[in-house]
Amino acid sequence: MSTLLEVSGVSVSFDGFRAINNLTFQIGNAELRAVIGPNGAGKTTFMDIVTGKTRPDSGHISWGEKNLSLIGMSEARIAQAGIGRKFQKPTVFEDQTVQENLLMALRKDRGPLAVLFFRPSAADLERVAELAGEIGLTDSLLRVSGELSHGQKQWLEIGMLLAQEPRLLLVDEPAAGMTPAEREKTTAILVEAAKTRAVVVVEHDMEFVRRLNCKVTVLHEGAVLAEGSLDHVTKNQEVIDVYLGR
Amino acid sequence: MKTMLLTVLSALFLCHGGTAQAQTVQDILQSQRALIEQSSRRTIGPAIDAIADSGLAQMQSVLEAWQAKDMWQRLEDGFFFAAHKTADGSYELTDFESGAVIGTYPKDALAQIKPNSGIRAMIATALVRFQLSDPDMARRGEALDSIARNPEAGLLGPLRAAIPSEKDPTLLARKLRLERLMTMSYDTDTAARVAAITAMAGDLGVDFRATLNPILTTRIVVADAGVTPEGNIAATLVPGEAALSRDAAYALLVEADKAQPVLTPDARDAGLEAHIESGRIAGTPIAKLDTETARDAAYGALAAKGLVPLLVHPPDIDASLANHQFFSIYHEPSQQVTEAAEAALAKSQSRVVASQAIDLGLDALSLASIYFLAAIGLAITFGVMGVINMAHGEFIMMGAYTGYVVQQFVPNHTASILVAVPLAFAVTFAAGVALERLVIRWLYHRPLETLLATFGVSIALQQLAKNIFGTQARPLTAPSWLDGAWVINDVVSISYIRIAIFVLALMFMGLFVFIMKRTRLGLETRAVTQNPRMAAGMGINPDRVNMLTFGLGSGIAGIAGVAIGLFAKVTSEMGGDYIVQSFMTVVVGGVGNIWGTLAGALMIGGFQKGVEWLNPSNTLAAQTYMIVFIIIFIQFRPRGIIALRGRAAGD
Amino acid sequence: MNRSFIARNPSVLVFLALLALFTLVVSVLSEGFGIGLVSTSFVKTLGKTLCLCLIAVAMDLIWGYAGILSLGHFAFFGLGGYMIGMWLMYERTRQIVVSSLSEGVLPPTPEEIETGIAGQIFGVVGSADFPLIWAFADSLVIQLALVVLVPGILALVFGWLAFRSRVTGVYLSILTQAMTLGLSLYLFQNASGLRGNNGLSGLQNLPGVSAPQSVVSMWFFWASALALALGYLLVAWVVSGKFGSVIRGIRDNEARVRFLGYSVESYKLAVFTLTACLSGIAGALYYPQAGIINPAEVAPIASIYLAVWVAIGGRGRLYGAVIGAAFVSLVSSWFTGGQAPDINLGFYTIQWVDWWLILLGLSFVLVTLFAPSGMGGLVDLLMRGKKRGGNT
Repeated sequence: MSTLLEVSGVSVSFDGFRAINNLTFQIGNAELRAVIGPNGAGKTTFMDIVTGKTRPDSGHISWGEKNLSLIGMSEARIAQAGIGRKFQKPTVFEDQTVQENLLMALRKDRGPLAVLFFRPSAADLERVAELAGEIGLTDSLLRVSGELSHGQKQWLEIGMLLAQEPRLLLVDEPAAGMTPAEREKTTAILVEAAKTRAVVVVEHDMEFVRRLNCKVTVLHEGAVLAEGSLDHVTKNQEVIDVYLGR
Repeated sequence: MKTMLLTVLSALFLCHGGTAQAQTVQDILQSQRALIEQSSRRTIGPAIDAIADSGLAQMQSVLEAWQAKDMWQRLEDGFFFAAHKTADGSYELTDFESGAVIGTYPKDALAQIKPNSGIRAMIATALVRFQLSDPDMARRGEALDSIARNPEAGLLGPLRAAIPSEKDPTLLARKLRLERLMTMSYDTDTAARVAAITAMAGDLGVDFRATLNPILTTRIVVADAGVTPEGNIAATLVPGEAALSRDAAYALLVEADKAQPVLTPDARDAGLEAHIESGRIAGTPIAKLDTETARDAAYGALAAKGLVPLLVHPPDIDASLANHQFFSIYHEPSQQVTEAAEAALAKSQSRVVASQAIDLGLDALSLASIYFLAAIGLAITFGVMGVINMAHGEFIMMGAYTGYVVQQFVPNHTASILVAVPLAFAVTFAAGVALERLVIRWLYHRPLETLLATFGVSIALQQLAKNIFGTQARPLTAPSWLDGAWVINDVVSISYIRIAIFVLALMFMGLFVFIMKRTRLGLETRAVTQNPRMAAGMGINPDRVNMLTFGLGSGIAGIAGVAIGLFAKVTSEMGGDYIVQSFMTVVVGGVGNIWGTLAGALMIGGFQKGVEWLNPSNTLAAQTYMIVFIIIFIQFRPRGIIALRGRAAGD
Repeated sequence: MNRSFIARNPSVLVFLALLALFTLVVSVLSEGFGIGLVSTSFVKTLGKTLCLCLIAVAMDLIWGYAGILSLGHFAFFGLGGYMIGMWLMYERTRQIVVSSLSEGVLPPTPEEIETGIAGQIFGVVGSADFPLIWAFADSLVIQLALVVLVPGILALVFGWLAFRSRVTGVYLSILTQAMTLGLSLYLFQNASGLRGNNGLSGLQNLPGVSAPQSVVSMWFFWASALALALGYLLVAWVVSGKFGSVIRGIRDNEARVRFLGYSVESYKLAVFTLTACLSGIAGALYYPQAGIINPAEVAPIASIYLAVWVAIGGRGRLYGAVIGAAFVSLVSSWFTGGQAPDINLGFYTIQWVDWWLILLGLSFVLVTLFAPSGMGGLVDLLMRGKKRGGNT
């Protein structure tokens, strides 16, 4: 399996505090990966670095077959290159309809002029409807997304990510605040998505991670502590000490 | 004293050639009788000189009487006396020589000598030499002032003579300095002049530079090519360079009858209009003369016929200029003196520039203090709490008006300021708390709306102040001990009020750091700022903390208002003058950090003064450039000079 | 496509119909073309109000839709006014100078005319030469282009600098305020080449037109109405599609839009520049009706009032901006013009000239606190109420 994203030797510090410390991380095409770690382990900062929000002090990030360096690229260009990100809190555009949200995310020319003259074709609307079906929001297509339930917003956001057709999906705590039924559905959506692209899930909830049934990376103090199957890492003494044992 | 003066004066006249013999006052006055009677400013000089140079001690009273229009002439013999009007309208005459009253005469037996103001001024100059040795120190000082105002060659001798007898060290120093300055201009000995100039080279005094400048004045002289004119040549000038424009050079040639005057367009057109023949000028129809070239051509045709003076063309001007040389020549004939003066002036100039730089630095510092004072309240409300308060400027205004109102009740300025400062704090603290409770509290997570709502408050407060206090500026008078300035030398000085503001700014800085780092309120404020939920969980009441912090920031704005009111006008619009600059200061410095605000104030103040220095006539331009500079600066440090990074920056 | 746009936005059609009706009524009542019930000066006031509505629409686009609270749009408005003012003043002065020079014996030369105009225009600031920026003042076409280009380029440069460094929120507001303050301070200088604090005057006179002001004022009124209609249509079209979705997304969650792959900066810059151009056009129509423009017009306070109008009218809905600008500016001039009757309370007489600003300031606070959707919100409420009523 070829490598899609390779993070090597990345460090970043804020006012002397080392949030990420010589982190190395790889993920291949069509791979599902869970990243776990205690608070302050640098999970969110790791995502910030990959998506271009935070610029690392040192290290390399290479992307895709052409080994494109992501450092110094704007968030928008990284997103266009095929990295999608879902935030911890559901962030959808609440005063716009589900359809508008999805249309905005649809993989199209993102330039202001092209967007200005864009009018959705029948194919676009069909694709939006299809996506809405995948995330279970077919009936809510014309509803203002602010009216959706918490779980529905999470799905809408995942739906928007899928509409972007990214090659790598970064998902931050997708199951937070969901009912058990909603979690199950979320798991299904993620596992399905990982069949065609790489998905990185940052999660606290061990049960959820177990259900994902994938390789796990444990972060601690900004570096990788252990990597392997969930059973493998949960047996690791260091992991138990810093995280699980508490 | 008088005898000493006498000896000194007579010694002086002996070395001047000694025309003085044993004469009486009346002898001398009679010898100048014709001139005195004529009483004309143009001719009176020798008479005054004769009297003053006579060496007679009584002459001071003669001159004083003359100057005061108290000198009368007895018609029967033409003798001069001091006259004093008696109660019955006749005049009592006093002899100048003895000081004895010689009798009373009716007015028609006498003629008053009426010197006009020009003559009186000349008498005053003559009197100076007597006053220089007057027993009264104040009069000696006045005499020095008078000489310094109108120095002239004749006064150098008396001044020198008055030096040895001077006991007062201050006056002695002044006399010595004046003597040296006058030596430079008036001494007959070139070596002495050069020595005096060289000795004072580099002096910063305005008087020194004012003495040198006339020595170095030049005139421009035209000479034919290859001829070097007489005189102390300062420089050879090339027409077209900065010192002498081509037009000015050509004008000099015209003046010296060495070239044809250039015709102005008006003169040319007048020439054309004078030769209209049946709708044509020199054969060209008038209607065709609607370009400059056409008019020149027509004029040329007229000139060729000899009807009008010739037109001077640019090549003619070039040729004339090339055939002549232009020199600037010192009025001062001695080259040694001018060289010494140039060198001394250059040395002074470079020291003046250095001093000006220091002065500018002090100016910038005091401007920075003002910005800091105006911004420090904002640094709290905006920087710490993240609340943008557009009414901040109006709180400054409120503080200033509080000071004004206090002065209406407490006439003593020192006491009134002491009352006004805490009162201004109290008033604006209350206003701030009210604003926070009524408006801002509801908008904590909508910063743009806070901006707008507080702007509404700002216009309402401004208009309210206008309704109460009117539109004209109200005075807020500083205590008299803040008047005046600390003068370091003729160039560097700083007014006490600016020093006071600087000290006040330092005090606020200290107060702020103390409150934030050492008090419960500071601790709680920082806690609430960083994590309101957790702070609330730990028993801190965030409502109370926000209220107090906002009140504190507003209160400080009030005190700043009193300080600003002391040197600026108190008007209802004064807040607006500071609000944008204050925000700039906070933003440029870096939000949430008092040291950043300080750095921002220093940078903006320094930059503004720097631009004003480069372009002193235009403070508006300085502000424009400052804003452009800030916009560009934000490019490189979007979070200000002292920036917080990472999660604390809160994006 | 256009039909579907209008169909999806019936409010646009309603607005345009109302505007057309209003224009017709004013025309019929005017002195210049109608029965003379509406005075020429009031026609000018109404025409100016339409221009203010146009800049309010632009403000609504940048603030209400894109979420950028610009406190500097009057800088663009003023620049538009200055650009057209330069031509008006130049051309009119030229005609005066030519006619006075023609009385001489010799026909005037171009140089004489130029010197004459320069002396007339710049005599007040102690200069007799044309500054470089007046190079195109003799060409109406170029100055008309500059009405759009100068504000547009200023907005492009300023916006590029500001957005590139991710200045957002209140920081950006303050920065735009600094921009307009800087511009007004610059214009106040005599050396600015635009007559310092004298500004440009006599702009109400159209060069070469002998029609009376009552007629000229109507021309400008119609032009203003047309500009407002076109501007409204353009902005409504811009916000109706995906572009509108994106900029509203930027308003609500900039980072999210960025992670969707949109270059937020380009969008902000595009909107900022477009609104600056619209403001320039509004200004170019406003100042010939006002007759004079001076640097005080671009002082920061003017732009803040613009924000007040849009906020009171209700941002995020274009008709709200129009209602706000028209209502507040007309009511303002009614109160401050001394037409409102004083209220005698017995112990104190409320003179509206003195108290209007206090009332405005406080009502602004109240609107911000309790009615964030402004007067436009009322319209929404009515419409929704009707719809609901129809449904049940």
